Amino acid sequence: MNQVLNQSAISAAISRLADQILANRPEGLIDLIGIRSRGDEVAERVADSLRERGAEVRLGVLDISLYRDDLAHLSSNPNLQGSEIPFAIDESRIILVDDVLFTGRTIRAAFDALFDYGRPRSVELAVLIDRGHRELPISPHYVGETLETERLDHVIVNLLKTDGVDVVEIKKHS
Amino acid sequence: MARKDFLDVGSLDREEIIRLLDQAVPFKELFTRSVKKVPALKGKTVLMLFYEPSTRTLSSFEVAAKRLSADVTVFDVPHSSVTKGESVRDTIDTLQAMRADYIVVRHRLSGQPAAIARQTGASVINAGDGAHAHPTQALLDAFTLREVYPQMEGKKVLITGDILHSRVARSTSMILEKLGVEVAFCGPGSLVPQTSYRRFTNYDEAMKWGPDVLYLLRVQKERMDADFFPNDREYHNVYGVTERRLEEIKDRGIYIMHPGPINRGVELCDAVLDYDRCLISQQVENGIAARMSVLYNLKPQIS
Amino acid sequence: MNLFLQGGEVATEDRPPFRSDVWIVDGVIKAVEVMDVPEGAEVIDCSGQVILPGMFDAHVHFREPGQEQKETIFDGTEAAINGGVTGVVMMPNTSPAIDSPVMVQRVLDLGEKCRIPVLTSACITVGRRGREMAPLAGLKKAGVLMLTDDGDAVPDAALLKRSMEYASEFDMFFASHCEDPQLAGPRALNEGAVSYRLGIQGTPALAEEICMDRDIRIAHATQTHLHIQHVSTALGMETIRWWKERGARLTAEVAPHHLMFRDEDIGDYDTHYKMNPPLRTAEDNAALLQGLKEGVFDLIATDHAPHTEFEKSQAFVDAPNGLTGLDTALVSLFDRFVVSGEFGWDLIVKRYSAEPRRLMRVEVAEVSVGKSADLVVFDPQKETTFTKEFMKSKSSNTPFLNKTLRGSVEMVVLGREVLFQR
Repeated sequence: MNQVLNQSAISAAISRLADQILANRPEGLIDLIGIRSRGDEVAERVADSLRERGAEVRLGVLDISLYRDDLAHLSSNPNLQGSEIPFAIDESRIILVDDVLFTGRTIRAAFDALFDYGRPRSVELAVLIDRGHRELPISPHYVGETLETERLDHVIVNLLKTDGVDVVEIKKHS
Repeated sequence: MARKDFLDVGSLDREEIIRLLDQAVPFKELFTRSVKKVPALKGKTVLMLFYEPSTRTLSSFEVAAKRLSADVTVFDVPHSSVTKGESVRDTIDTLQAMRADYIVVRHRLSGQPAAIARQTGASVINAGDGAHAHPTQALLDAFTLREVYPQMEGKKVLITGDILHSRVARSTSMILEKLGVEVAFCGPGSLVPQTSYRRFTNYDEAMKWGPDVLYLLRVQKERMDADFFPNDREYHNVYGVTERRLEEIKDRGIYIMHPGPINRGVELCDAVLDYDRCLISQQVENGIAARMSVLYNLKPQIS
Repeated sequence: MNLFLQGGEVATEDRPPFRSDVWIVDGVIKAVEVMDVPEGAEVIDCSGQVILPGMFDAHVHFREPGQEQKETIFDGTEAAINGGVTGVVMMPNTSPAIDSPVMVQRVLDLGEKCRIPVLTSACITVGRRGREMAPLAGLKKAGVLMLTDDGDAVPDAALLKRSMEYASEFDMFFASHCEDPQLAGPRALNEGAVSYRLGIQGTPALAEEICMDRDIRIAHATQTHLHIQHVSTALGMETIRWWKERGARLTAEVAPHHLMFRDEDIGDYDTHYKMNPPLRTAEDNAALLQGLKEGVFDLIATDHAPHTEFEKSQAFVDAPNGLTGLDTALVSLFDRFVVSGEFGWDLIVKRYSAEPRRLMRVEVAEVSVGKSADLVVFDPQKETTFTKEFMKSKSSNTPFLNKTLRGSVEMVVLGREVLFQR
């Protein structure tokens, strides 16, 4: 197991995301929707960071379990926690937030879920980590950290609120 | 590893029940969206096998399945309660040919859904079998109760009516008990058997016990082949929620539930439906969410 | 035929088994003692084994004529032999019922082709419909001693009384299936916690007890010998005990399944535990066992009731009542009660061999000098697995299906024939 990001590296990545987003939204009105799980914690921390910088942030959470393309192959379905979007999607400029961008399938499911809530004016993507190996034509607008990984590696993200500790590790495929 | 079938409450433990209830909450939230569908069961076939007529339960399941984007087929079965020789084996052969992933079964004979489940890899959901079980009703009842009493432990629920013939009484009492609720039965002596629950045959005595919820059962005329009590009017006067009794219920803030369909003037008077603590319509609404939760949490074992 | 069964123990009805050899020549028992091997005899090593007189089952259903897909008389007798039973009494609820001399002759003729003697009972009422008396005198003449509408009670008390009064002339006895039809419900299972849990209307013990009371009183008033069949309740048994103490001409039988199983065994609608009278409670099991040991029950009878697999796989309420018993009774009684010391071989010989024969007024089988050979060799050390292939009944509706029990019927000798030897 290879530790690639420690607590301060993660905090730095969150900061970087906040800076990038603010640079693109000078008016300081930002709608973030974090993808469960862990994408929601990243969104929360980015939101805090943005608010410290004086931005106005609306925060929502999206549960994409019902939209996954692999449900039929699972021996039991993921625990549903539900989505919570306390503002209108219609005409909003949404920034989807997730912890790791990999094949892009999670984001595809997130589009389906999001669009069942309404019709946003635009959707951008912010990820804490981009580990490459895309299988769909999806690319992020805001990236905290880029990691070189092999296709079969496991990238394990632990975040303070969800897992009790901030650390990102890569488990090499043996 | 998800379970294949949902046949009765007895086979569920407390953790599983709470999980199913928790999972019903996000499904209920979907009702407020304009797009009420999610693709979780897209491409899957849900077969409705209702050997006993029922518009409400059937349509509740249909809506639940369709909101999960499943393909729903209602299988036309003969409704005659006299038809014997509806062998389980014959049914299974037909079902295999239809390649259903989920089969929702309602049957007049206790144990039929279990027998079907044993012989097919499809996920079988019991929508009510004889006087044995109605687990999805139990789930939506528990869900509804939890909405008014998030801490259910120690609450008292009085189930009143024809307990003897009621699968709802059996399943709902069992699920509530597993969630820490105290359950008692009340009704005519000929319709309330000896069970592990407290037994009342007198309405006033039952009210002294201090129930928080009155769960009224439909008086099952069609299931009785002999008279268990003289007539409807007597039942209403002795055990029903009359207008006078409703006043006391309102004073004490007791909630009223009923699985439907109601017999006006028998289990309850019309005024009950206007009482703000009557939870009957919430039960109906929660039925769809509860059934979606069940469908989402089962996995067929079809090779 | 010259057989020397060496090294075993002989079981009788009045004492525990004793060490003895048994020498049989041309179908007759020539010696029962420890001795040297006689010249020219074929030696069968019976060390560690028990030699019993052949069992006799006074209550079996062979389904012929009318439902031969479940069992035929021949297959039924082969199942009996397989279980160490060398004589049976058939019940008359066939299709058509055995309610006339012609039908009696028909089934007895079929019985002639079997390897063990076959007796039959006959109906009290025509077609078992409970409305008119069957031709009782003619039935007696055709060889019937036991009259029963088994499967049902006679609903009309007056008709039962008249039949008993009429039959007294012909020295026949009546056997009662006790069940009040109005209390019986769908006849699926005992009324209690299990019937509540499964959501099926149960039959209260009361239904059997009320009818038992009625039949016993009618028989007593008409001085008729009455035999109560398949008793399943403790209170019912007490009624029998009470009347016996008062000198009523009363006998009674208990089936192995009412000693061994209870309604909880039904579990998840398992029709292998569905029969009539139904399985009751653990308290009933214990009371009936005690009653058997105390002699309240005169005999053990299986109520062997074969049904096809298809029928038994129906929904619980629709599946027919009954389980097979001939292949399994002796081994299961040994496994359940002799091994644990509840009772010994003497009880089994008395209640499943001697008394049933006395009831039917046939010669009691004994392993003693001068008697015709009619015996079973049982090995307590071996085991029996009741697979479909092992059992000779055409049907396999028994809770013992594919189960392994201690004990094995190794050999059955009847007259000059060794019916089988494993």
